[in-house]
Formats: sequence, C-alpha cells, structure tokens
Amino acid sequence: MTGPLLSVRGLVKHFRPRARLLGAEARPVRAVDGIDLDVEAAGTLGLVGESGCGKSTTGRLVLRLIEADAGTIRFEGEDIRAATPARLRALRRRMQIVFQDPFSSLDPRMTVAEILAEPFVVHGIGGAAERARQVRRLLDAVGLAAHHAARHPHEFSGGQRQRIGIARALALEPSLIVADEPVSALDVSIQAQILNLMKDLQAARGLAFLFISHNLAVVRHMADRVAVMYLGVVVEEAPREALFSAPLHPYTQALLSAVPDPGAARRERIVLTGEIPRPDDPPSGCRFRTRCPIAVARCAAEVPALRELAPAHRVACHLAGPAPG
Amino acid sequence: MTALLSVEGLTVRFGRFNVVEDLSFSVSPGEVLAIVGESGSGKSMTALALMRLVPPPGVVSGRVVFEGADLLSLSERQMRDVRGGAMAMVFQEPMTSLNPVFTVGRQIGEALAWHRGLSGSAARAEAVRLLGLVEIPNAAARVSEYPHQLSGGMRQRVMIAMALACRPRLLIADEPTTALDATVQAQILDLLRRLRAELGMAVILITHDLGVVSDFADRVAVMYAARIVETGPAEALFKAPAHPYTEGLLASLPRLAETADRLAAIPGQVPPPFALPPGCRFAPRCAHAKAPCSAALPPLAPVAGGRAAACIRHAGYVVAA
Repeated sequence: MTGPLLSVRGLVKHFRPRARLLGAEARPVRAVDGIDLDVEAAGTLGLVGESGCGKSTTGRLVLRLIEADAGTIRFEGEDIRAATPARLRALRRRMQIVFQDPFSSLDPRMTVAEILAEPFVVHGIGGAAERARQVRRLLDAVGLAAHHAARHPHEFSGGQRQRIGIARALALEPSLIVADEPVSALDVSIQAQILNLMKDLQAARGLAFLFISHNLAVVRHMADRVAVMYLGVVVEEAPREALFSAPLHPYTQALLSAVPDPGAARRERIVLTGEIPRPDDPPSGCRFRTRCPIAVARCAAEVPALRELAPAHRVACHLAGPAPG
Repeated sequence: MTALLSVEGLTVRFGRFNVVEDLSFSVSPGEVLAIVGESGSGKSMTALALMRLVPPPGVVSGRVVFEGADLLSLSERQMRDVRGGAMAMVFQEPMTSLNPVFTVGRQIGEALAWHRGLSGSAARAEAVRLLGLVEIPNAAARVSEYPHQLSGGMRQRVMIAMALACRPRLLIADEPTTALDATVQAQILDLLRRLRAELGMAVILITHDLGVVSDFADRVAVMYAARIVETGPAEALFKAPAHPYTEGLLASLPRLAETADRLAAIPGQVPPPFALPPGCRFAPRCAHAKAPCSAALPPLAPVAGGRAAACIRHAGYVVAA
C-alpha cells in the first residue's frame, strides 16, 4: 500500500432536525462541511477545535459509525463508504475508537475479561483458552494486572477504566485508532499516565492515531500533524512545530493565545469578541469572519480556499501571508 | 492589612472521614486566592463550607471569620444575609444553577429584592445595568430571555451578574470556566480580572486548571487528599514548587510552548478518604519518600519567599539518603 493509511476527501455531514410542528422549516446543522484529512501509517494527526466545530463527528464518520452525506474515505486503500456490511465488519478490526468517557463506554454488567474477549467473540476468533490468553496479553499491554480480569468497570478509577477502553481497542491489532478526547475526563496526573501509555503503544505496535481534542497542549504533545477545525471546516493544517510556533490563521492564533500556560509570564491575549456562531446558520464567506480581528469585506463575499503557504502548511484565509523566515 | 476572610482549622466530616481537614488560610481585600487540586481533593467542599452549604450529613468545624464575624456561629437567617450579599458564589455549570422557568431579569431581581430591597422597574433597570457590566450585548433585550436561549458563555456571564448584584466583597468561583471553550474562557477570565479591579472584590478561585491559576491568581493553595500541601504567591510557586505533589503536577502537564517526548506522570492515584495512607498522604506516590514520611502527617512549614509546604524536607527534619 502506498499513500496515507487514511485519506478523507470532501467529507460532508449535515444533520437534519425533525421538522417542527409549526413555524419555519428547521435548517440542517452543517456539522462537517467538506474537509480533507490524511493520517499516515504509525503517525498521529491531531484534530483540534472548540465544541461544535465538528471534530467528533469527523471521527465517527471516518469509522462509519454514522453515515456521511458526501465525500470519500479511503482506509488502507479501500473505499470505506462503498464497503458492504460484511466487508465493513472486517475493516473494523483494523480501525478502532477510544471514547472520552470511560464511565459510559464500558458495559457495567460485564467483567473486564468479558469486555476484552468480546471483540474476539464477535469476530469468531479463537477458542476459550486462546481468548483468555489474549485478555491477559491485553491487560499487560496497558499496565493492568491479570487479577483485574475478574472485576467489573465500577471497581476501577477513571484512569484504569480508560486503560480498559484502550485495551479493548487494541484487541484485534488495529492499524488506526480514533481517540476522541481520550484524556479530557481525567485528572492531570492520570492524564499524563494515559498519554505516555498511548505513545508507548504507538511506538511498539506502529499504530496510527486520529487524535481528537479541544486541549491544544495535549494535541501538541501527541500529534505530528495538526488540523484546526472551526464550524465544520478545516481552517489550518500543518506539521506540529509549524502550527504551534508560526500559526498563520487568525483563529489558530487566537486559540493559542487564549490558553494560559502555567508558570509562563502573563501576556497580552488576542481575546475574540462574540461566540461561535450557530452551525445551522454559519456566516457567509469565511466562517470565522464574524469574530476575526482582521476581517475585511472580501471575507464575507468569498469562501477562502486552503492554500499551501509553507511546505505542508495549508491555511484557509484570504489575508494570511507566508510564514516569516 | 486585616484579612477579609480568615479560616482556621476548617474541617468537613462525613461519617468517619474528613473530606476537608484542618485548612487554615486567609484572603485580603481585593486579593485572588486560587485553591487548586484534582478531583476528590476537597476543594469544592471547601467552597461549600465557606458558604455554609455543605449538604447533610456533613459536619463542619473550625473557624471561618468573614469581616469580623464567625460564619459558623451565625444563625441560618443571618447567614442568608451574608450569602449572595457580601459573599457570593459562582458555580461551574450555569445551566443547573439557573432556574429554567424564569427570565434572566427575574432571577437577578430576586437577589436585588432580598438584599437591596429593589423591586419593579428599579430592579429591572439594575438588572440591565448588571448585564451590561458583564458585557452582555443588547442587555435591555436579553434581560427578558430564558436561560436556554443563551449560550454557555452568556449563561456564565448571567451567573456572574447575579453574584455581583449585591456588590460582594468576596466572590467564590468554583471552576467558573471549566465548562467553557478556550476562547470563551479567555473572555470570562478577562471579565473577572476587570471586575475585580473595578469593584475591588476579593476572589477565591476553585479550579483544577493550573493554567487558569497562573493567569489570574495572586496566591495559591494546593490541596491533596483533603489537606493543603503547599501555599504561596502564584509566581514563586510555579517557578519553584516546594512540595513534591505541586512539582509533580506541573511536570505532568503537556506544555503549549515546548515539546517533550514523555510526560513525567505521577504514579498511582489520589487515595479516597476511606483509604488514606499513614503519615504524609502523598508519600506512596512521591519520588522523594523515605521511611519518616509515613510516620506522621507533616505540618505546613514555612519555606523561603512567603511560602509554606507540608513536606518533611522543609520542616527541619534531616532525611537520611
């Protein structure tokens, strides 16, 4: 296989609210509105943005947990959207998801052994002895002990539950894991443990991550490429160092300046006015223009295309110039 | 300068367990004190104890002296006058603290009627003024809206407006920006900073977010397993943490400005109140722990630069290597 492990082109998902009894027809929520993404084998693409930007929807579209309206999704060279149900089931062994909330994503009635054996049962892999061996192997891989297998999820702390969620995702040796805010529900000291674990597993198994998070510092730590989403579109995409040291889109610049860094000198912030517009009624032209400190008339008239302003650094802004230096 | 709030030996007990234990700190007029800790550290229960809102069967002991009066010995009626008056509170999730069936104006008006005796058009005019103060655009129209018509950031502004209704000298803010997006959080922090300067009110900020602390607080108290383990001026504390837990927390954070290969995670997890280790509660997770650490609880001992840390390395003990 050549090319990226996962390649997404022109991905669109509009959610149509049910028609109201009276009054005007409800407008569709344009959750994801034409985005392109590539995830390289064994690499990490960070997908970052604020609530409602469409990053979680993108993660679910990629795995076909929800169906896209338009666009192509190629995984290991195969068109996911055209796959038959049987073929999709086979593909899902290779692409898995880890959710934010380890409390609600594990069945409380099952033991850890049952949770971890389930993927093998579903796919008809191995007998009882083989599955028990796999469960021990998975527990070991995520730093849990063999005696944890007999326990139920409620007996574990948040960090341990997230380890179980990761073990379940690893069960069938995937090449891609979509990690949707995997550490957002965890305390700082536990968050570091889980991030280290994910990096170790990636190095040992050649995993690729689509790492979705609102936390810029966490994304910086995990990703080698970063895409910034705003209201359903990607506004900037770049290698990690370029994005964090020389962001070119005014939204990325404001987002980076909004996050206080502990211990760093207090600095002047770019404080945006207003809030994120409603996704069922995005502004014309550039979607960020209503909050943009440098918007001009052209921004309302014309949708800015992603332009490559530096090597592998694409920006959707009429006014952005090449990176200095 | 006399302290606005002076807390001594504050303890909150549920059954046989202390969820807040022997807390002592003070807040000067106009000062921002951050109480920082992870889940289960007791920071939110501390805020509730200060407001005398600890739910039963919790038992609060110690002294909470606010403007000369010990709040723990006031009658419930006297306490109602303090709460929402000279001392107000903002919670993390504005949607659950606002009443969904009343307009924003009516909810602000309730506080104005209770504490300032305003009603009718005077209360409405004051509500509009307060919404303007917290930078809600088009306040005259927004005052007639219901909470569900507002965004998360706007609801938090309404909560702050309600808290400010009676010109408090102390605002207790429990994770006020945790539910908000980064760009909206920046707006709310800017607003709080401006209001504090203009109104001269002191703020106790309860948070798990060290970035927010570093950005907004003058002084910090770090809590771990129900106790304060370190306290001091924010800048000094971040520059050179004196307690291994503070040090560990800072080291475990991924940073915006630099790339590290691995994070220095703190091993293990916070012990629950019913399974506390003997002696220093952080000892089982501490890289510096030695045998004496498990012998007795280390007291908060002074460290250079107006700081204090509850670690025997600072309490005059010599720990054999």
